[in-house]
Amino acid sequence: MPALPAVPLVDEGVDVARRELHASEVPWQTVVWNDPVNLMSYVAWVFRRHFGMDAPTAEQRMLQVHHEGRAVVAEGNREAMERHVEAMHEYGLWATLERVPR
Amino acid sequence: MRGFVPVDGAFEALLEPEEARVLASLADQLAGLLGEVADDAELVEADPALGRLLPDAYRDDPEAADEWRRLSRRGLAERKAGFAARLSADLADAAVASQTTRIRLDEAGAIDWMRAIGDLRLVLAERMDLADALTSPGGDEPSDETGKETDDDLERRSGMAELYDWLAWMQDDLVRALDRAAEAS
Repeated sequence: MPALPAVPLVDEGVDVARRELHASEVPWQTVVWNDPVNLMSYVAWVFRRHFGMDAPTAEQRMLQVHHEGRAVVAEGNREAMERHVEAMHEYGLWATLERVPR
Repeated sequence: MRGFVPVDGAFEALLEPEEARVLASLADQLAGLLGEVADDAELVEADPALGRLLPDAYRDDPEAADEWRRLSRRGLAERKAGFAARLSADLADAAVASQTTRIRLDEAGAIDWMRAIGDLRLVLAERMDLADALTSPGGDEPSDETGKETDDDLERRSGMAELYDWLAWMQDDLVRALDRAAEAS
């Protein structure tokens, strides 16, 4: 195994907490929006199936979509959230991705 | 139709020829609609029903929304057309039969059916909104001159509403059947 280069990965003296986050580090979230068409039972099933939620969690998120108009169903990097959104669209659900508000 | 029953990891239902014909015809129309989008993605902007099948992925970022449409919309339209085509193909025998036919789906097939049925309901909902807007401008009673046309419109609308409810029942039934199969395994 080659030795690691003796170059510090983070410059000394840089305040990591305050430095600009690289675009790939900004967390994103997948949001499912309420629509008057999709059945509640189907939406909960999709959440269980695709996100692996247990039944009570899926039910709770589905009801949140229904009553509040939207619910966050996943968080992560942008590419992963785009894949979730595409999967939701394949299931006929109305989903978007957005930056996690800070 | 009485609903789907899980049987040895598959799902079975009995369909009347008329039911199969109606459903296959809807599925063919949906596959056709989505096939056109796969060829010309601009169509989505012109038809609100297509906007519901293929919504934007970004709400507040027009540039990202645009790129998403460019990169993902065609593929999504093709896959959705595939779900509808599968629904239609699975119904082909039952639609030309002279008596009740047993439909048998594996799990992947049942999921494709649920997706296609959901997409059909999205389109029907949009078409019914349009029909409402046409038949009830401001909720006024139709005049005598247009009364006949309005009756036809109402009949068409009630036909769509009946289909819409029937598809809801079928999709919910498939959800239950999949859940029963999952509990049993």
